[in-house]
Amino acid sequence: MKIEILFPEFCNLFGDMYNMKYLKMCLPDAEFIETALDEKPKFIDEDIKMIYLGPMTEKTQEKVITRLKPYKKRIEELIDNNVLFLVTGNAIEVFGKYIENEDGSKIEGLGIFDVYSKRNMMNRHNSYFIGKYEDIEIVGFKSQFTMMYGDNSSNYFLEVEKGIGINKESKLEGVKKNNFIGTYLIGPLLILNPLFTEKLLQAMDAKGEIALKEETIAAYNERLKELKKLA
Amino acid sequence: MKKGIKFYIALWGAKIGTVILKLFKRNATFFPGKFAIKICPDFIGKINKPKTIVAVTGTNGKTTVCNMIEDILKDNNYIFIDNKYGSNIDAGVATTLLSGVNFWGKCKRDLAILEVDERSAPKIYPYMTPTYLVCTNLFRDSLMRNAHTEFISEILTKYIPKDTTLILNGDDLIASNIAPENKRIYFGIDRLETDSEKCENIARDIIVCPKCNSKLVYDYVRYNHIGKAHCPNCDFRSPDIDYLVTNLDLQNMKMHIKNNNEEETYDLISDNIINIYNILTVITVLKQLNLTNIQINESLKKQKIVDTRYSEEIVNGKKIITHLSKGMNPIACSRVFDYVRKYKGNKAVILLLDDLHEEANGSENTAWQYDTDYEFLNDDSIKQLIIAGVRYLDDYVRVRIAGVDDKKIVHERNELSAVEKLNLNNVETIFILHDLYSMELKEAIKAKVELMVKNLEEK
Repeated sequence: MKIEILFPEFCNLFGDMYNMKYLKMCLPDAEFIETALDEKPKFIDEDIKMIYLGPMTEKTQEKVITRLKPYKKRIEELIDNNVLFLVTGNAIEVFGKYIENEDGSKIEGLGIFDVYSKRNMMNRHNSYFIGKYEDIEIVGFKSQFTMMYGDNSSNYFLEVEKGIGINKESKLEGVKKNNFIGTYLIGPLLILNPLFTEKLLQAMDAKGEIALKEETIAAYNERLKELKKLA
Repeated sequence: MKKGIKFYIALWGAKIGTVILKLFKRNATFFPGKFAIKICPDFIGKINKPKTIVAVTGTNGKTTVCNMIEDILKDNNYIFIDNKYGSNIDAGVATTLLSGVNFWGKCKRDLAILEVDERSAPKIYPYMTPTYLVCTNLFRDSLMRNAHTEFISEILTKYIPKDTTLILNGDDLIASNIAPENKRIYFGIDRLETDSEKCENIARDIIVCPKCNSKLVYDYVRYNHIGKAHCPNCDFRSPDIDYLVTNLDLQNMKMHIKNNNEEETYDLISDNIINIYNILTVITVLKQLNLTNIQINESLKKQKIVDTRYSEEIVNGKKIITHLSKGMNPIACSRVFDYVRKYKGNKAVILLLDDLHEEANGSENTAWQYDTDYEFLNDDSIKQLIIAGVRYLDDYVRVRIAGVDDKKIVHERNELSAVEKLNLNNVETIFILHDLYSMELKEAIKAKVELMVKNLEEK
């Protein structure tokens, strides 16, 4: 089983790379391939089970869009074929229509999803999050300069229980189509949410156990309890 | 600059407010400035300022650097204003400048030493041109506030006044490249035996050339992005250093600094690389202020790193070290973890890293733990790791992911109860690593450890 981590030398902010380190602990036999920005992505020619892209700086977003643009059709094909994508933090914006700067200028995205985002660089949004995914609750953190707009009512990732959706007025977080999961949640999402990690392993038909199961579930339960208490 | 009635209302109101606050024994280090800026938004611009202003900014070390500059200047009978006891944002800076003028706004001091928060640049530098602006380093910091180094370096570049001379860490490829048009002076440390060709840290924020996007070649790495690098395809490279530590003699606790072909010797008051950088920064600033080698060194010898940041004592032959390890600041914690693992002998480590300031809001964003090199705590010389506090379950998962043997770990919610499980056999040193907002707790834990060590002898 091959898992491709896209551009880890750049897209590695906020501890998100540990999602992959943890997944490696869960899937010790899987092959994790790190593709640098100046390399041809492996998903173009190879059979990849999962593709991961983590949060990045604003300048890097432009580089990543430029790099992935020639492969837009291939990415859409992989999404249609149920390949698992996990896209965290502002990496989700790469797949939208555009990113708008404060001065109104726009950076064209891949346009795979009918959403767009707006930057507000002097006002960083920070919040805690609980959201419903199938039969489980997902906990997490948001820390971002942007808000996303557009209609994700038919392809959202999570129903918000606490916190915000793709913007402050939205109660629907992220984007999901087949096995493509894009979320503004940052940090060690898979470690914070062992039950969700279990679902990802199932989605990949992976024969693996979640690592440090007892320990991560104890921390998850405590956080869920704590975040539910927040106003 | 014409001051106008708003300025004088702000000045007099803030001056009177300061007197009233002091009468009630309240800290008058923030609110007078806040009031002044509220009444007169460009108060910092309009107030008369000292002829020479040294502003100190950067992710880590700015408080230590300011404290040391101030102590050495005082020891040499300099008179100046500073925000040592105030905040480092616009209100704190305004309060400090306010203390430097009389009731009619006339400046009473010629020199100001100001610690300035990087994020506050847009609210301060449009109104104030520092003579010197020191940037100690730029690293990943609180992700909730500072996001990432690109964001902070862009803010600094945008707002630093063109006439300010920069004093920059030349070993830091991010800090050394802020405001490229400004006049600059670099400090740095020549290659050390401990430097490596490979980076073993999680975070490394400059990997490609900012000019041509080629992958940078690191001649050596000290930690994270500190080191020396060059671009193989263009002229981008680490700068030539003006104040260069040519010989770091940790055995005799001395360092030689070369500037303009002259070499001077200084005493070291710490063997920790982050403090050596801090001392070097201080010396560079003081040399720019025309202090001599003797003036600086004689005062430097009297300095010590403040107890709130580092303390050590020996009780019954065992060393107890407290070390500030700022929560939510991945690089500061990683440097401390690295120091601990490399400290001679066997040790036990007590981790009290909860950010109680953040916890007051009901929880803590713990993503920073995964930018922090907890892997350094997975070391044979660390015989026991005690994890305690609100986030003990998160810390426990983190150190397990770092590969620390479960048998070495004690993890409990209650700090004092967890410390009772401290195993003093086979350890020479006990490290208590604590956050900035855990001072009282640190003292309680330290007292408990001291007692346990004393009781060990009686047993």
